[in-house]
Formats: sequence, structure tokens, C-alpha cells
Amino acid sequence: MSQTVLICDDAIFMRTMVGDILTQAGFEIVGEAETGVQAVEKYHQLKPDLVTMDIVMPDMGGIDAVREICKVDPQARILMCSAMGQQALVVEAIQAGAKDFVVKPFQPSRVLEAVQRVLG
Amino acid sequence: MDNLQYAELFLTESREHVSAVNQALLTLERDATAPTAAAAVGAIFRAVHTIKGMGATMGYAIVAELAHELETVLDRVRRGDLAIDAEVMDVLFRSADVLEQAVEAAVAGRDGEVLAADLVATLHALGLGERTSQRGGWTVPAPTGAGMLVRVRLAPDTPLRGVRAFIIVQSLAKLGQVTTTEPELDALQAEGFESDFALRLETSKPMADVEQIVRRAGDIADVQVGEDGAASAPRRSAAVVVEPMAESTVEVESRTRHVRIDVRRLDTLMNLVGELVIARGRLSQLAAELGDVSLDETVNASSRLITELRDEITASRMVPMAQIFDRFPRVVRDAARSVGKEIDFIVEGKGIELDRSMLDEIGDSIVHLLRNAVDHGIEAPDVRTAQGKPSAGKLVLSASRDRSAVVIRVTDDGRGINRRRVLERAKRDGLVEPTKTELTEDELLRLLARPGFSTAESVTQLSGRGVGIDAVYTRVRSLGGAMDIRSEPGEGTTMVLRLPLTLAIVRALLARVADDIYAIPLAHVSETVELEADAVRTVTGREVLLLRDEVLPLLRLRALVGLPDYVRRDEIELEHVIIIDTGDRRAGLIIDELTGQEEIVVKQYDGVRDGLPFFGGATLLGDGRPALIVDVSSLL
Repeated sequence: MSQTVLICDDAIFMRTMVGDILTQAGFEIVGEAETGVQAVEKYHQLKPDLVTMDIVMPDMGGIDAVREICKVDPQARILMCSAMGQQALVVEAIQAGAKDFVVKPFQPSRVLEAVQRVLG
Repeated sequence: MDNLQYAELFLTESREHVSAVNQALLTLERDATAPTAAAAVGAIFRAVHTIKGMGATMGYAIVAELAHELETVLDRVRRGDLAIDAEVMDVLFRSADVLEQAVEAAVAGRDGEVLAADLVATLHALGLGERTSQRGGWTVPAPTGAGMLVRVRLAPDTPLRGVRAFIIVQSLAKLGQVTTTEPELDALQAEGFESDFALRLETSKPMADVEQIVRRAGDIADVQVGEDGAASAPRRSAAVVVEPMAESTVEVESRTRHVRIDVRRLDTLMNLVGELVIARGRLSQLAAELGDVSLDETVNASSRLITELRDEITASRMVPMAQIFDRFPRVVRDAARSVGKEIDFIVEGKGIELDRSMLDEIGDSIVHLLRNAVDHGIEAPDVRTAQGKPSAGKLVLSASRDRSAVVIRVTDDGRGINRRRVLERAKRDGLVEPTKTELTEDELLRLLARPGFSTAESVTQLSGRGVGIDAVYTRVRSLGGAMDIRSEPGEGTTMVLRLPLTLAIVRALLARVADDIYAIPLAHVSETVELEADAVRTVTGREVLLLRDEVLPLLRLRALVGLPDYVRRDEIELEHVIIIDTGDRRAGLIIDELTGQEEIVVKQYDGVRDGLPFFGGATLLGDGRPALIVDVSSLL
């Protein structure tokens, strides 16, 4: 059985791109979220093996979403997607419970390496 | 030539080079101080260099980058700056694996899937060592305080280095307490360091665990756990001193004149020759009927030319076993390591040649048998020692020629197959009589070759062997070959695969049964005799043939294809018996009449799957009639 992924990003472009990279690597995309609130709801509903989380999203940002998810499930495996220059935010997300991060623009190999670390 | 063709050339050639790298690595691993080590390093260097050049030309960035970093490391080894130790060996083996993956992925257009960044970083660090003269070259002072010293260098292109450093600190904090960092934590998070940072960790975990945790954190170029000077020094072991090699002379001598040809083109040629052989048969028959002398001569002359043409094309498809055998030492080494066994692996008969497509088809099956031997056949070192055997098991893979067949043997000196377990299971499944107390080699093979039988856990765990024997058996049979097992409890097991030299054209004996002609490949025929009534006996309800001093089981082709018994038209017309033979087993096959001997072109035959199991294909005869080809090994 392939491992399941929930993709959280407000940009369709980024969701598609991350989705493609992971699908090609054999993951199954079980859901997408455009806001932090949706991310938290869908996490509890779908119980995915992996979450990719954008930092900046409307309606509760990615970091707060990580906090909310980890409050209920400290084992949640969350990979942060950040842009260059957001290190302070990424550190905050890691403190909140995220396991690793990737930096845009995405290179497939980097994304998959990070995913392996998060799942490993 | 379009890009696709280049890509294929790149692929074939790179595979060969990777195989050469693996070979040389194994030599190097055995003894890095031996005189052969220098040549091995040189060979690896050249192979990697070639892959790098080809990869860069094709625009395969990952391949080129990986090869480049590897080359830098090898160059240091070559110059004696970097000593070979277990750690370096591991990196080199890993590099060969990832390089192979990268090559395959690049050609398939899937290079995004290759995870090479960590390895590139590791190689880069190994390669950089030359400038700092010793590994390490740490830039930050060791922080003072309690706990073990941990030094980390991040890979040069690490994104958000501060965050990466923070993740490392955080994951180490799970093992104990991080008492101090250099630079301080705030500066660390803000990327206030050059390439490396250090910390002290109070923990009860061993150093190796700490190092593992750091390496797993990602984007790591180098790690040192323990005080400066103490940690890295003992890693250095035997140094390889490489003499500058007289490369040019060696290479010129071994370079013969070759042209690369797409295998599919050879397949087409073979098919055409096959058609030509059929047409020749028809032509010879027509010429014989017409009885024209000059026509006969011309037909005979062209016939000889066609034979030569066929022989040449068959020969051009032959490749030495080395093409696949050379991969196996690595396979065996890895398999042995993963299960903690010691194995002396011996390969014999690498020079024996086999048809290219046959070789491609049989490779997986050999890997299967080797893995089985390592996994289940050969015992763990302590078990072996307790039984008075040498702690290292012996595994021999050999190829040899036997008439028009190639015989491949996989022999181990392990525990052998536990017949009692096999017998018990066979009884449980109702496959043998409940009263049976012993299994012959034949019965054993038949049982193990039953789909699903040998994969039963109770058998594989206790008896040792069996996983997928059915798959190997089916493959060998579909190639027109035969398989045998010989096993002695406590002494070991030998698997024997017998394969025809080529798939496409075989010499066959033609036999008539009622109105149909059947072809029996000559590779499996030892002689033919007339069926004398007094040579036939019935033993325990089965017919046998007395042939000189031998008692052979008898099979009637008529009965096999569901025809009524033969009725003699007059006293002198006797049926014939073909003595069929798979090397170890013999039997008599009764047919109505022998009609001749011909070269037949084997055509794939869809009926095999659902039809009678003892036909291995079909062919067209010289007169245009179809004939079924008897799969001798399935009869025995």
C-alpha cells in the first residue's frame, strides 16, 4: 500500500507540483487544503502518513496549523514548505512539531530526501 | 543517429563500466594493500571518468556531478592522499550503486527520483580533505564544557543552514542534553557560522548512535563525534600506493576491433536467417523432386552458404557468461553481509558463451539461486564452526559446455534441503502417498517446483531452501532447458540448469505420429532404436524398455496426445523409440516413424499456456507443414 499525503498550500501551482513529485515517487495524494483551518480539519479526517505544509496561508498560517495538529497527534509527520529567507519561521515551525523542511523552488530530489527523513 | 540511440549506447556502456567498478571494488576490498589494489583503483578511476564524460555530454547532470565527485575522491586515493578503510569502502560501494541508479534513471527521464545529494556531499567532503591534509579541518574551536564533542559540517549548498543546524541540535537533544554550542544557539539559527559548527552532548548513548542521528538529519558533509584527534585518526588503515600505470600500452593491446550493434537488429537478422532456413528446406525438396542436376548443384551451394551465414549470425549473438557473471560477486557479497554470513564465492567458466537473449532471460534465475544459497543454504558462521565446517561457506557458480547445451551449476556447502520437512508438507497437501518414507531427487524437484509449494513458510524456515524454485523451474523450461537438484543433508545443495545454446534455431529429429510431425530437439536425443516387442517389460504397472543393461521408463507419444494405439500394417513395420536425455534423466519415447532430421526455427507458440504442457513451441518444416516441438525436459 502506498503511503498517503495531505498537501497544504494556498497556490494551486505549488499543490500540483508537490503532488506530481510525490505521485511519481509512489505516494498517494489523499487530500489538499488551501488554508490552515482546512489543513487541521482534513488531517484529523484523513489521518495521512505525511503532510506537506506551506508556511504562509490565509485563515490560520501553516505554523499554527502544525501546532494544532501536533496538539492532538504529536507523532504527525509534517514537512514544511518554505521560501528563501523564512528561516525564523521555519525554526518556529520545527519547534511547533514539524519534522523537516524544503525550500522553494523545489527540486524533486530534495523534496524526496526530506520526505524520506520525515518518514524514516 | 538521434538522441534516443545515443541514450541507449550511453546506457549499455555505462552499465559495463559500473560492472567494472564493482569488480574492482571487490578486489580492493579483499586487500587494499595488495599490488592488485593499485590497478583496481586505476580501473575504477577510468570507468568513472568515462561515465562522467558521457553523462555530461548527454546532459545528465546528476550522473556527471556524482561521477565528478567520485573521480576527485579516487584521484586522492590514487595519489596516496586518502587511505582506504572500511568507511571509504562503504562510500565507494554506495557510490557505485547510486551511480548505476542515476544512469538508469537519467536515461528513463526520471532523474528526479535519484537521491544523490547526500552522497555527493559525502564525496565532496572526502575529496576536499586533500586541502586540509587531514580529515576535519574544522574552523570553529571546540566548545568547553561537559559531554561529548560533536562536530558537524553541512553540505556546501544546504538551504536554510541555520534551520538545518537547529534541526540537528534538536534531534540530538532527544538523546540527552546539549550543554553548549559553538557558535551559540541564537547565532547558529541565524546562520552565524561558516561551514561547520560544534556542540557538546551529555548522553549515555554510544558515539556511533550519535553520529547516525546527525547523519540522518540531512545535508551533512561530515561528522565527528569525540575529541579532536581521537575520533578520525584510527579510521585510517591500509594505504594504497598507486604506481602510475602504463595505461596506454595495456589498453592498446586489449582493444580489439568492435562495432556496437543494437541487439534488436541481431534479432531481426536471426529471424531472417530463420526464414531463409525454412525456404531452403522447401527449395531442397522441390529440387529433389525435379531431379535437375544443375538445379541441385545450385541449391546445394546456396544451402552451404546459408548454413555458414546462420553459423556466423548465431556466433555474433553469443556473449560470454562474464557479462552477467561479473555482477554476481557483488550480489553475493551484499546478500551475505545483510544476513551476517561469511561466503567464499567462486566463479568458473566465465568465458563460456551463450546466446545473448538466453543470457538476458536467465540472469534473474541465477540471482535467485545464489540468494537462496546465501539465505537458506549456507549456515551462519557459528553454526558452521559448531559442526566442524569452516566458518565461511563455499558457494560456486560454474558454467560449462556439454554438447549443444550450456550447464550452469550453483553449488553450496550448506545444510542441504530438509527432505523430511518437504515430505511432511507434501503428505499434508496430499501430493504423495501417506506411506511414503523417502524422496528421490526427482520427486524433490517436482515438489519444490510446484507453484507455491516451496514458498510455504514452514518449509523455507526449517528446510532452508525453496523460495521461488518454481519460478526458476518455469523460466528454465520456457527456454527449452532442464533443471536438477542434488542435495545432501549437512553437505550442501547443487542446482543444475541446462540450457540450449540458442533460442532461435535448433537441430531436431522429426517424428511422425499418425498424420502429424513432431520435432524433438537433438540436444536431448541420445539415440534411436526400433521397438522390439521383447525389449518391453511392465514393472509396477508401468512400461519400461530394456536397452543393453539399462531399464528406461517408456512414454508413448500417441497416448500423450490422446491418439489410439498404433496398429501395425505388416510384420516388419516396427515403431521407433527415441531415447531422450536431459543429462541426468533418460527415457524412451515411442513414435510411429522417424522421418528425418532438420534445422528448425523455433516460433513462439501461444498454445503452451493452456494446451498440452509438453510442447515447447512450434515450427514450420521445409515442406511448409507445421510441427510441434516436444519439450523433452517436461516429459522426464
